Amino acid sequence: MRIATKGILAGLGLMLASSTQVLAQELTILWAEWDPANYLQELVNDYQKETGVTVRVETTPWPDFQTKAFTEFNAHGSAYDLVVGDSQWLGAGSTQGHYVELTDFVKEHNLTTAMAPATMKYYSEYPGGSGHYWAVPLEGDALGWAYRKDLFEDPTEMANFKAKYGYDLAVPQTFAQLLDIAEFFTRPEQNLYGAAVYTQNSGDGVVMGVENSVFAYGGSFGDYANFKVTGEINGPNSVKALEDYRRLFTYNPPGWGNAFFAEVNTAIAQGQAAMGMNFFAFLPSLINEATNPYAKNMGFFANPKGPNGDDYAALGGQGISVVSYSQNKDEAMKFLAWFVKPETQKRWAELGGYTCDAVLLASPEFRNATPYNEAFYQTMFKVRDFWALPEYAELLTEAADTFYPYVVDGQGTAQETLDSLASKWVDTLKTAGYDAK
Amino acid sequence: MAVVSTRAGRLGNRIAIAAVIVITLIFLAPIYWITSTAFKPLVLATSVPPTVVFEPQITPFVKLFTKRAQLTGPVDKEVYDAAPWWEKLVLDGGERLARDGNGDVVYSAYPDRFVNSLIIAITSTVLAVGMGTITAYGFSRFRVKGEADLLFFILSTRMLPPIVVAIPMFLMYRAVGLNDTHVGLIILYTAFNVSFAVWLMKGFIDEIPKEYEEAALVDGYTRMQAFFKIVLPEAATGIAATAVFCFITAWNEYAFALILSNRRAQTAPPFIPSQVGTGLQDWTVIAAGTVLFLLPVAIFTFLLRNHLLRGMSFGAIRK
Amino acid sequence: MAQIVATLDPKSRAATRGWSDITIRNVFIIPTVTFLIIFNIFPLLYSLGFSFTDFKASSSNPAKFVGLKNYVDLLADPVIWRTFTTTLWYVIVSVAGQFVVGFGLALLLNRPIPFKGFLTTLLLLPMMLSPVVVGLFWKLIYDPSWGILNYALGIGKVAWLTDPKLALYAVAITDIWMWSPFVMLLSLAGLSAVPKHLYEAASIDRAGKLYTFFRITLPLVAPILLIAVIFRTMEAFKTFDIAFVMTGQPQAELISTRLYKMAFQQWQTGPSSALAYIILIMVLCITNIYVKYLNKAKER
Repeated sequence: MRIATKGILAGLGLMLASSTQVLAQELTILWAEWDPANYLQELVNDYQKETGVTVRVETTPWPDFQTKAFTEFNAHGSAYDLVVGDSQWLGAGSTQGHYVELTDFVKEHNLTTAMAPATMKYYSEYPGGSGHYWAVPLEGDALGWAYRKDLFEDPTEMANFKAKYGYDLAVPQTFAQLLDIAEFFTRPEQNLYGAAVYTQNSGDGVVMGVENSVFAYGGSFGDYANFKVTGEINGPNSVKALEDYRRLFTYNPPGWGNAFFAEVNTAIAQGQAAMGMNFFAFLPSLINEATNPYAKNMGFFANPKGPNGDDYAALGGQGISVVSYSQNKDEAMKFLAWFVKPETQKRWAELGGYTCDAVLLASPEFRNATPYNEAFYQTMFKVRDFWALPEYAELLTEAADTFYPYVVDGQGTAQETLDSLASKWVDTLKTAGYDAK
Repeated sequence: MAVVSTRAGRLGNRIAIAAVIVITLIFLAPIYWITSTAFKPLVLATSVPPTVVFEPQITPFVKLFTKRAQLTGPVDKEVYDAAPWWEKLVLDGGERLARDGNGDVVYSAYPDRFVNSLIIAITSTVLAVGMGTITAYGFSRFRVKGEADLLFFILSTRMLPPIVVAIPMFLMYRAVGLNDTHVGLIILYTAFNVSFAVWLMKGFIDEIPKEYEEAALVDGYTRMQAFFKIVLPEAATGIAATAVFCFITAWNEYAFALILSNRRAQTAPPFIPSQVGTGLQDWTVIAAGTVLFLLPVAIFTFLLRNHLLRGMSFGAIRK
Repeated sequence: MAQIVATLDPKSRAATRGWSDITIRNVFIIPTVTFLIIFNIFPLLYSLGFSFTDFKASSSNPAKFVGLKNYVDLLADPVIWRTFTTTLWYVIVSVAGQFVVGFGLALLLNRPIPFKGFLTTLLLLPMMLSPVVVGLFWKLIYDPSWGILNYALGIGKVAWLTDPKLALYAVAITDIWMWSPFVMLLSLAGLSAVPKHLYEAASIDRAGKLYTFFRITLPLVAPILLIAVIFRTMEAFKTFDIAFVMTGQPQAELISTRLYKMAFQQWQTGPSSALAYIILIMVLCITNIYVKYLNKAKER
């Protein structure tokens, strides 16, 4: 009798336990509102089929993304189990305890070799070189360029260009050529402008754009390991890069002072810009004939080299991390283990995600899948990133506030602008307790 | 002014009417632009030059309620033929509908956010108007020590920029777990509407002659009965006008909703602008969300319009 | 009135006891005032402490006391001063605009007009929209390339929202569009309350139109206009959503936008609490002045 009762109780307990488990079988991922998030939603459907765990991808618009995520982190909220966070969040995520450390997970799944090296370095490791990992690279991204083939390959344009600049009109190999081409196509009377770049200062728009130039020119945003700012951000290469970014801005459509990815794509789709700088993740809409009348004529290229032959581009993209306040951490880890499987990564790439899987990335299959994948592949091996300290948001806002008056309003000189940014950054870093120089 | 008898006066009147109509049209132009955007194909929403005449379509509304992803290749003819008409509209736009594991269409969060807005705006309006009315009655009919100071304090709470209050509110809500809850936002919206309600309602109640209640008291009613049966019906116009204003404020509030709610309790205003398309700002979907979101408040205002117009002369005039 | 009394339930005549006036007063007033104190004063006291520290809500590090440093830094920061003057100028432009347009409209509407109620309700539509959506769509309308405004006016490619000289006015125009109807509504109420016999008397005295307007209409409508201006000033001072969405031009940056950046993008909780306090003190001064005028106007 006793045994029977025990058995029944145990059975009941098991039922209860399993029923609570059923309740917990839902995971919520926070990401920004954009196409890759919808691809991810489609990808996780397969996971639901395999395991019965429902995964929902919750999205929030880009300008609020950082605020929203950190509001939730700082509230120690459990609304999200996983977050696909910007690379710069690693510092805050790791040192403030928002992220679960994934170092063991990374070792167990050999991610340091399975994923492209730059993606592990920038999307996962913190502090740099420490061997501590906090995320699984999810969406690789960087700044690339789109251009109008019909303009570039037009015989009259080609002849005129050659006559004016002395070399053939083609995809620019250097920033000097990029500037020539932008100048060449700037014709307000035809409603055509040379380029469309980022200028928005409420998020990271203008900073990303300047960064892209600064890295290519061999400049730097600082020696991140030694907190050295002076002489880096305001060094001669950085200054030249900022000057040329300002020049590039003058070849943009009128009123181009609040532009981010949507504006750049709109300018191209409406036939206003011959070239546009954008994150690879935003490029697919340019080959959609329903949204871009020039879809058939779009070409893409990786960031050109700077005057000294340096070849770099600014990194975007995100890794996925487990939120330490989540109540479903175990389920979340299981999900990550599924996500890093090569089959999953392959499916991810097919759906339109930018996989960071090193083998897949280098495969001809991937590189030829779309008109922009080849440029993406080239870019992902030459990326550099912004600061990833917990204080990165302050550095970013200061940079945006400092760049904007020079780039958009043409106030002061590039040297003055960067000198003032250097001194602001040193102050901010010192206040935060770093031995900044 | 109101008396028009001369010929010149009649002419002036006609000019005034014409001017009113022209100004009304100018005022409505941006609203027309939003509404027409809600029926445009995406490419025409930002065409250069802007498109005024076009063939209206309801694709933006289909998009508003679904999640979509960019098509990477041409659609299978079979899939296309099998799709319902509304899915065809999305496919024609170069996008496919996102589906969940069971193959069901994934709906966007818009309906949830809309319902959140309804719950939060209605509850907080009822609370703010209710509290505002009784408090205004208290100030209007009884002697209160430091009345001027208290009223000043009540008004000053309305003057603080929301961001000023948002910092400590965020920390407090975090401490007590009210972040991202309906209750949290309801309390907050009630708090900043109640001060407005007190001020408006005090004007209205001051205008209701005290003799009405005194007559009732003489007839043997208690003060409470007199309040409910005599003052409230007399103040109905004022209550309606106050309710319209409180509802509009709570319905459209953005800053607090942005900071203090995430997913479960988020209202529509922070959500509507987040409907970005595939690498482009999908103005048509934002417009569709805006148009639907405008309807409840427009209907509410339209129904109460007579109260609103009559009821706005709160106290200040005939004092 | 007799009718109302007659409809009262006769049984309630017996209930003479009920609550005393003092109880009713307390029950009616104290909860609301307490509620407002809890949700206004208490949070502010809470953040007063933070304003003397280097606290960051994004960090688990304990707050460090820094004395008046935050206040000193802020008051020495030219950017803060610029946003204050910008905000002040914005308030003046937008409230003045709303006053002129709103009151003007009310004067035009204050006559027998077919479908007056319907027209007036239509005019109220702008203020029923969510400010953030208004900001977004005006951004679309203002766009130099694909915006309708420049085409409608035929003025070429004016960069409304990015030109440092224009941006603030462009935002103010949107605010004027959105809130003039509010001023119109209040003015209309004021105008309709002016006793008709005053106008009749004036016309018998053959008083000129201008004379009637300045000596009869304006003085009688002034108090309600003042209320409209007070409420709009308060709201304009608080402006956040519209400006935040519409422009990033530093010359058009308002104090609320700056505070939002500091508090919720940079997570400088300590300094932003201090800035919040500086704003609070200014707000209290302005409210005080206004209430004095309001009371004066009411006494007239």
